[in-house]
Amino acid sequence: MQQEKNSYKLLIWVIIGSFSMVSCKKDFLDVQPQGQITSEAASSDPNIARKLVTGVYNQLYQGGFDNDVHGIIFAMATDVASDDADKGSTALDQAPEAIGFDNFTSDLDGNNFYVSRLWNGNYSGIAAANQALEKLEQSKFDHITKRTFIGEVRFLRAFFYFNLVRLFGGVPKVLRVPANLADANSDEFKTRAPKDSIYAAIINDLQYGVDSLPLKGEATTQVGRANKGAAQSLLAKVYLYQQNYQKAYDLSREVILSNKFALISDYSKNFRSKIYDNNIESIFEIQTGTNADCNAAVPFYVVSQGPRVGGLGGWSDLGFGLNNPSQDLVNEYEPGDLRDSITIIYIGPDSTVLWDGFVIPARNRVENDRYNYKAYYGRRTDTYCVTGNTDRLPKNIHIIRYAEVLLINAEAALQIGNASDAFTDLSLIRQRAGLLPVPATISAIWHERRVELAMEQDRFFDIVRQRRAGTLLRALGKTFVDGKNEVFPIPQSEIDLSGGKLIQNNGY
Amino acid sequence: MNYFLPINFKKTILMRLLFINTGIGLLLLLSLQLSAGGPGLKVNEPVLDITGKVTNINGEPVAGATVRVKGSTAGTSTNASGDYSISVPENGTLIFSSIGYEDMEVQVNGLIIINAVLRPSTKSLDQVIVVGYGTQRRRDVTGAVSSVSGSEISKQPVLTATQAIQGKVAGVQIVSSGAPNSAPSVRIRGTGSVFSGADPLYVVDGVITTDIRNINSADIASLEVLKDASSAAIYGVRAANGVIIITTKKGRGGKMLISYDANVGIREASHLVKMANATQYATYINEASVNTGNGDVLIDPATTNTSTDWFSTILRRSFQQNHNVSISGGGEKVNYFFSVGYLTDEGIVINNKFDRITIRSNNEYKINDKIKVNTLISYSHGNTQDVNLGSAYNNAYHAAPTITSKLNGKYGNTSAFQNVGNPLLDIESNNNKYKENRLQGTGYIEIKPLSWLTLRSSYGVELGFNNRKIYTSQFPNDTTTFIVTGGSQQNVKSSLFISDEKNTRWVWDNTATLQKSFDKHDLTLLVGTTAEEIFSESNTGSRTDVPSDPNLWYLSQGDPGSQLNSSSADKRARNSYLARLNYSYNKKYLLTATYRADGTSIFTKSWGYFPSIGVGWNIINEGFMADQKIFKQLKLRGSWGRLGNDNIPSSARFQTLLTGLAYSFDGTIVTGASLLDVIDKDIKWETTDESDIGLEFSILRGRLSGEVDVYKKQVNDALINVRIPGVLGDPDGILLTNVASIENKGIELALNWNGKSKQVNYTLSGNVSYNKNKVVALNGGQAIFGGFVGSKGSTTYTNNGQAIGEFYLLQDEGVFHNQTELAGYINSLGNLITINGQLPTLGDLRYKDLNDDGKIDDNDRSKSGSYQPKFTLGFTANVTYKAVDVSVNAYGTIGSKIYNGKKAARFNSRDNVEASVAEDRWTFANYASDVPRANLNAIPHSTYFLESGNFLRINNLTIGYTFPSPMLSKYHLSNFRCYITSQNLVTFTKYSGFTPEISNGDALGQGIEYNAYPTTRTYAFGINLTF
Repeated sequence: MQQEKNSYKLLIWVIIGSFSMVSCKKDFLDVQPQGQITSEAASSDPNIARKLVTGVYNQLYQGGFDNDVHGIIFAMATDVASDDADKGSTALDQAPEAIGFDNFTSDLDGNNFYVSRLWNGNYSGIAAANQALEKLEQSKFDHITKRTFIGEVRFLRAFFYFNLVRLFGGVPKVLRVPANLADANSDEFKTRAPKDSIYAAIINDLQYGVDSLPLKGEATTQVGRANKGAAQSLLAKVYLYQQNYQKAYDLSREVILSNKFALISDYSKNFRSKIYDNNIESIFEIQTGTNADCNAAVPFYVVSQGPRVGGLGGWSDLGFGLNNPSQDLVNEYEPGDLRDSITIIYIGPDSTVLWDGFVIPARNRVENDRYNYKAYYGRRTDTYCVTGNTDRLPKNIHIIRYAEVLLINAEAALQIGNASDAFTDLSLIRQRAGLLPVPATISAIWHERRVELAMEQDRFFDIVRQRRAGTLLRALGKTFVDGKNEVFPIPQSEIDLSGGKLIQNNGY
Repeated sequence: MNYFLPINFKKTILMRLLFINTGIGLLLLLSLQLSAGGPGLKVNEPVLDITGKVTNINGEPVAGATVRVKGSTAGTSTNASGDYSISVPENGTLIFSSIGYEDMEVQVNGLIIINAVLRPSTKSLDQVIVVGYGTQRRRDVTGAVSSVSGSEISKQPVLTATQAIQGKVAGVQIVSSGAPNSAPSVRIRGTGSVFSGADPLYVVDGVITTDIRNINSADIASLEVLKDASSAAIYGVRAANGVIIITTKKGRGGKMLISYDANVGIREASHLVKMANATQYATYINEASVNTGNGDVLIDPATTNTSTDWFSTILRRSFQQNHNVSISGGGEKVNYFFSVGYLTDEGIVINNKFDRITIRSNNEYKINDKIKVNTLISYSHGNTQDVNLGSAYNNAYHAAPTITSKLNGKYGNTSAFQNVGNPLLDIESNNNKYKENRLQGTGYIEIKPLSWLTLRSSYGVELGFNNRKIYTSQFPNDTTTFIVTGGSQQNVKSSLFISDEKNTRWVWDNTATLQKSFDKHDLTLLVGTTAEEIFSESNTGSRTDVPSDPNLWYLSQGDPGSQLNSSSADKRARNSYLARLNYSYNKKYLLTATYRADGTSIFTKSWGYFPSIGVGWNIINEGFMADQKIFKQLKLRGSWGRLGNDNIPSSARFQTLLTGLAYSFDGTIVTGASLLDVIDKDIKWETTDESDIGLEFSILRGRLSGEVDVYKKQVNDALINVRIPGVLGDPDGILLTNVASIENKGIELALNWNGKSKQVNYTLSGNVSYNKNKVVALNGGQAIFGGFVGSKGSTTYTNNGQAIGEFYLLQDEGVFHNQTELAGYINSLGNLITINGQLPTLGDLRYKDLNDDGKIDDNDRSKSGSYQPKFTLGFTANVTYKAVDVSVNAYGTIGSKIYNGKKAARFNSRDNVEASVAEDRWTFANYASDVPRANLNAIPHSTYFLESGNFLRINNLTIGYTFPSPMLSKYHLSNFRCYITSQNLVTFTKYSGFTPEISNGDALGQGIEYNAYPTTRTYAFGINLTF
């Protein structure tokens, strides 16, 4: 009987063991993600707010035919849509989306995926900014640090909204993080705020930046961060769009008088070797660099606009050949304007040597006539990704530079009757370009804006602001419709997701 | 030995148990009540020592047959000669059993020599099959369970057991790639999930796993496929895609058996696509330049002197071998099985290779009549030399035949001529080694304190240590590498990538099984708990500029400035309670009820509950069937149950910080973070409700038997992407959540014929199954475009009312043969129809303007069929004539579509085309052709590239010869068979590509032949030796 007894004891222990196994580890099923920081855990990191601020700057790297802030699709909406550039590349490349953007054909509708890339890219930036602002409020930084970070993030949020309002008009005004999925589903996130209300938010954010950000070069500043001059310059530009010329004049004047910025004597240096990045003329530019991950740049910004192999071929080309400077832009340059050959790569019957020594073969081996020289990266002289990957060549991109501040000041000055300031500003720009002064009329200033800022992703917004997009573009055979094509269509998918609460732009 | 205990004693024990756990206590108490009147064995009877021989009806010894004493656990097994010896009570009864034979009972009645002649089991009604957490007799099963014996599996020269059951089980579609060490895709009763994985759950010796490539097929005793909810629901939240149970061999009592099984063979691609030769290519491309380019002569006709066949450059006839040695046997206290296996599979692509060593030790220790301990330990070590098949195949398909592959150590420079990279260089510049080590161990103790109670506690662990090392050589695009300079194919810096992976898993199962028969009632009750924890971790690092000497392929070498490293890890835990009741009344009426409660760490709401019920009616046992002579077996069964699929990433319910977001300040790159992912924190398992009705029969005195099943599987709460507004800033704009419903409906039929004449024994078995897959509701989920090919976008659309991954294409109507057809290409308003904005010309493909808007664009796509076959067929014949055995196995599918993606994708204007495309293209001379004119560009995705995937294949043909025993005894051999075998001997298909069986790609685009490994054909010679 002893053996049976032992068996039963064993049996009891097995049963006790098996049923108590779970209860002794009560949190057995509570497993947190390994190696990933959850949003709850993030709140316990004192440096999280700083990381999130950097994360908002990182939003400027969106592009590469995916969600886009200042990449090739933004170039489609600003250069290609304007009279400055044609789609480029081969006939079939990027058709039909880019054809819709180039010529305002029926392919420019809410289903054109380019519009949702721009919409999503900028809203992604805004959401990142809202997240950073929320965590900044909770952070334990000292007052000044906190205000500076908030100023930077609000500057960036204003930049994203400025893009959106110019691309689409009034858009949903989202200035906070939704509390949960139900909140995210509320009307606030689905309905368009009036255009003026968006501009008010932009001005509000930028004014905060003007008030809180340090001047360029102050001890705490870092190259690449938004500073007071950047906020003032962008706000001046916003006021120009608002036709508030006095404020545009005052703010641009303050930037000029701050003596922190100047025109660099050689125009080309703004767009050439990396050693000239962040030069004296730079006010705010997208910073790029080379890291082991090769991810510190806007993807395909350079490659998409690079010269493309064609015809007989036989060389290693530089890109997809999109965004070609137009004949109309070529015609705009006055004889002797130094900026012409700095802005445009002309492919000649013989080979073309670029500034870093790269040789593009003759026209019969190249796809297009002209390429954007301002988006060219000197691979032969400047460093890039260690693996040799060229998808993200570290090309800094100018958002606003001092030359534009001068042009804003000139235009605003002219509008408020200060012709002498306008003449001074304009002459500075022309002098550097190797040109003689001309009287500062509005058309002279607008001409100067075009050639000075050509292929820098601004022209379409500019001619819409100047209320002459229709006249200019129809003259080139584009089917631009007044009262419709000043803005792009709202992505149809977003309208569908809003259950029809998001209203499409007029005419689309 | 006393098997009998006073009832009051039992009651005391059980009352104590009651306090421990009310649930199990009640169940035990219930059993107690049932057992109170049950019979017991008498004690102190005289015992006889009996010996004998077990043979089959052909007089051949049956090795490994079980001989046991009725009503006791005492038993033994026959040795290789069929001999046994056992001690039995004088008036006892011996039961002889062996898989594939009917059980036989013999009254001892004082005999001391008992020879048994076993009859082959007709439909193996008494066969014991393995079900989850236990076994069942085939006749008592109420669910749809298919069983394949180990000998059927090890017969085929393939890597995994699942490949070997292709065509043998109705309702199971297996698609395997010919690539060495690739895991086949297995679909049991259709594809049930888009995002949670559609592969079944594997259970090896009771331990749940997801990959069985470490299991040596020669070690497998049997494989069971649990297809319906009644049988699979015991695995609850993970059983929705069906369950495959593998049981490895155990030792049996008796003489030590040593066997050696080996085969050696060669493999080759069973079908290759013929590409255009240099002359055809030059003609095509230059004509295409006139048609769709600027008319330049792109290919110099002088370069057509050499013609490179790129596929023969990168493919080869390869060697394979498989050797297995096993030692098994046992005695009174210990049964043992030990095996070592070695397998080599050189792929048919150069530089590709796989070899594997497996070691297994399965031991059983009988501590006494009531306690058994089992240990099952296996180790496998795999070495894979991988090649990048994607670029190798794509490039070989598109590479210009006018370029030499390699000459005097220098490569032909295809990319310098606006062509793809040189595929040979692709392969030779890349060294990708993967080493796998997998250790699986399970130990369990089984206690039978009472004749009707079995307690079992099992603890299993699995450890995996894998290492991948990829070295890419440096090669510039100048004449140090190539015959001529230029092109985009270059690697400016050598690079080394190393990944170290570790995974561990433990699972602890505790079950109690109560088995009781009284009067006409048979009752089995299983209750149990299981807990499990799974952890995996991988650490990766890379550097550039690492020297080419393999001894220096470590991360200490190379450029420290280029180093990248990262870690990822995953941890999940599960805790479950399970119960199953099997009840049969008078062997006529059967009931199976199961219930499993699963707690899973990956969901916020951890617990899910999965019930099932199955009923069966053994009509044959009814009185009214007693006089009929038609049926030997007739059973009707039906089941319903609920299953789950929790195969989602364990972090899916958490919003996690996206880190490593770079930005440059002061010229220095720092990294930031974002919190942008919008997640559903209440994400949960997918739930499948499945119903099944089946009929099993056997007629013509058991010669013909069969099984029919009709089922419907509805997956609710299927994971699907829901689009969310871009305003919320989510990086991909989608939220993964449980809203869709997917349905699979089907019929399965399996038939078996057992034939016999004087000298010939044969069995024929065939099966056919039909399945229809459909998304029945998206419920706000997003219809998904998938199957992206080349530059022309998606080819499939998964939408309401369509199959998962259904093709969604422009409808091809042939080419424009003449001007009349061009002029007649108008819509109902009489407007000429444009194709992507341009008017078509002669020789262009013509598409249906479905929305009649006068332009062909994406809006004219429509559903065009699915990659999922409607019918799956299998046929097996085994014939034995004297010492010769022949077996044939065929497999096929009907009703699937394949998108010829490689043909549709053109990357560069000078990509090569298939010989038939070059030859048959539309020209003015060949104006009746329906092959489009020569074109430099890719043309839109349309049904032109969609082909029927129907095929029928002779999967395996084996001819064996077994040497007669007298010849062998001289050499102490008990068995010697040699055979020749061929895997995938011949395939009948109209599909023009490499293979109609595509196993790569996700559920949304699996039927696209893009860079599929060609089906390989194997010829092998093998032997089976037993000492």
